[in-house]
Amino acid sequence: MSEIILQAENVSKSYNLGSIDSGSLRQELQLFWQSKILKRETDFFKDINKNNPKKLFWALKDVNLEIKRGETWGIIGGNGAGKSTFLKILSRIIRPTSGSVRGQGRLSSLLEVGTGFHQELTGRENIFINGNMLGMKRSEIQKKFDEIVDFSGVGEFLDTPVKRYSSGMYVRLAFAVAAHLEPDILIVDEVLAVGDVEFQKKCLGKMKEASSEHGRTVIFVSHNLQSIQSLCSKALWLEKGRSVAAGEAKTVINSYLGTQQKKAWKHEYDSMALAPGNEHIKVLKVELVPNLSNPMDQVDIRTELTVKFKFYNLNNDIHLTASVLLFGSAGECIFNVPSKAGVCDAGMFEAECTIPGNFLNDGSYFICLYFARNGTEELYCYNECLIFDVADYREDAEFYYKWWGMVRPDFKLSLNKVA
Amino acid sequence: MKSMNWDWEIKPQAPWAGVSLKELKSFKDLLLSLVRKEFLSQYQQTLLGPVWILLYPLLTVATYVLVFNKVIGVSTEGIPSFLYYLTGITLWNLFAEIFQQTAHTFVHNSTVFSKVYFPRLIAPISILLLNFLRFGIQLFFLAVVLAYYYISGAIQFNPLHILIAIPVILVTAGIAFGTGLVFAVITGKYKDLFGLLQLIIRLLMFVCPIFYSINLVPEKIKWIVNLNPLSSLFQLFRFSLLNTSSADLSSFIYSVTFMCIVLLSGVFLFNRMGDKLMDVL
Repeated sequence: MSEIILQAENVSKSYNLGSIDSGSLRQELQLFWQSKILKRETDFFKDINKNNPKKLFWALKDVNLEIKRGETWGIIGGNGAGKSTFLKILSRIIRPTSGSVRGQGRLSSLLEVGTGFHQELTGRENIFINGNMLGMKRSEIQKKFDEIVDFSGVGEFLDTPVKRYSSGMYVRLAFAVAAHLEPDILIVDEVLAVGDVEFQKKCLGKMKEASSEHGRTVIFVSHNLQSIQSLCSKALWLEKGRSVAAGEAKTVINSYLGTQQKKAWKHEYDSMALAPGNEHIKVLKVELVPNLSNPMDQVDIRTELTVKFKFYNLNNDIHLTASVLLFGSAGECIFNVPSKAGVCDAGMFEAECTIPGNFLNDGSYFICLYFARNGTEELYCYNECLIFDVADYREDAEFYYKWWGMVRPDFKLSLNKVA
Repeated sequence: MKSMNWDWEIKPQAPWAGVSLKELKSFKDLLLSLVRKEFLSQYQQTLLGPVWILLYPLLTVATYVLVFNKVIGVSTEGIPSFLYYLTGITLWNLFAEIFQQTAHTFVHNSTVFSKVYFPRLIAPISILLLNFLRFGIQLFFLAVVLAYYYISGAIQFNPLHILIAIPVILVTAGIAFGTGLVFAVITGKYKDLFGLLQLIIRLLMFVCPIFYSINLVPEKIKWIVNLNPLSSLFQLFRFSLLNTSSADLSSFIYSVTFMCIVLLSGVFLFNRMGDKLMDVL
């Protein structure tokens, strides 16, 4: 089972920047008149000149990928990295500007749940329409009809127009159809972000089953690295339209996280003029150091983190406290750790605060530095100076749902049978 | 790398010929379900439902009987004006509906087209089928009206002439489909041309001999009617069903030639430009 089933060769896609392509016919005729008939070089004309690389935006540039039968690939990368463009090219929705894609067998893509659903029609009708759109034959759908209805759990509403469905039911029905696709290659965009936790679990389980038990090839794009890690054996990392790394999922994801983190984890200022601060305090350096055996590994809930910062106090003889504040992604304060207050003179100070491992829950966090005089009087507040993500880690990978709670301390809970 | 046999390949340029007939055939189920979807969805939550298929041409005919026959007084070659207009309107509706709906292919399907792949030609073909279905119902109704007038002795009827109607219908649908495809590509790119589309349809309706016979047109402006590839079709359609004045063979050949050209260029243009349009839709 090692034959190549899908091959992308030097796939590039460019778009013209600006509104030229979507202009009206009048504009284009005007342009034609100016440039071809009057032979006048207008600025407007220069814009659409294909030889001018400045106005051409490369959404994808020379991406190569070879996928073998039965592999599951995850595609990762930041916003605008070209992930969706790449998926659209693989699914034959748009054509590449250059390069080519070759493949074998039937390919189905799931870029949206409920493609082709008609609001006015019943659930039953929509199962057939959607199934056909995704590439199933009518006979196939008929064969699996009961299974699909079972999976979706909307049995009693089958003959009701889908416009009367709750959004959850709608999504469940749509995904139920998609889950019963049997293509050789399945392409899935971030559609799992919908539906309730229980259903997401069911879907991911179904996808896992498709690849492991039925030997189907799956290509999966998600921002949730956790689900990519648990689903995919291989990963492709795109950045600004270029492929940065491709290979074993764990390696690629870790190096992706490594660079992502490096960017936001250290701010250092050489001169006092550039350093953030005011007439009381100047922050010269702030840094987050994860305690990892391999610097390329990702920070997860087990990782010990140390916040280090260096600042210049410009006031003589004051009662100074420096605090580290940690906020969650919604802006809620998780903790506030102040230094011991003491009388300080002007000069350079260094501080360090360690957040132990097995304390933070998974999620996004940001850190603020707060400097106060006499305990309460604000001198300076350096907002959002460090932003970082903590990844999930579970021994039991069966559970995908978000762990509850602001923190996730490793307290001991003893369980004894007493009767 | 070892050479392999690939089932499919995606290249920067879409081929003129589009996908193979074999691939098109494999989407037969989708085609039928699209027809079904359109048909069912059109009559959901309506008062009269599919009755509109007949009611709409009837109301149109009633209007035109009033305007052209009673007010202006255009000759209907000795045929009852209701039957004369109904015949013309039935064929006209086939043309107008296919043309307009095909021209809206990209606009109507842009959300689906941007999320899932199937040969794009499937969408307009489903429109074609759906309209043939509707036309069939209208034709049946026309036959009933025809039988009534025949029995009451108001018209003559030559059963052999009916055969002429078949190629006439096909050529009409072919021209509508071909021009519709060309317009689908153009309006997909330039949205401001939808206004022009409406204008063309309205203008064409009066240039086509729907409410009058070609022979009534003054010699001076007859070239306009002759230039219109639809003229001979309406004339022949009426000839086959109502035994009215016929059209030249040459003008019919002109219509057939026009259909071939417009159909081929429509399909080619649609195949070639369809994927490119996805970038600008």
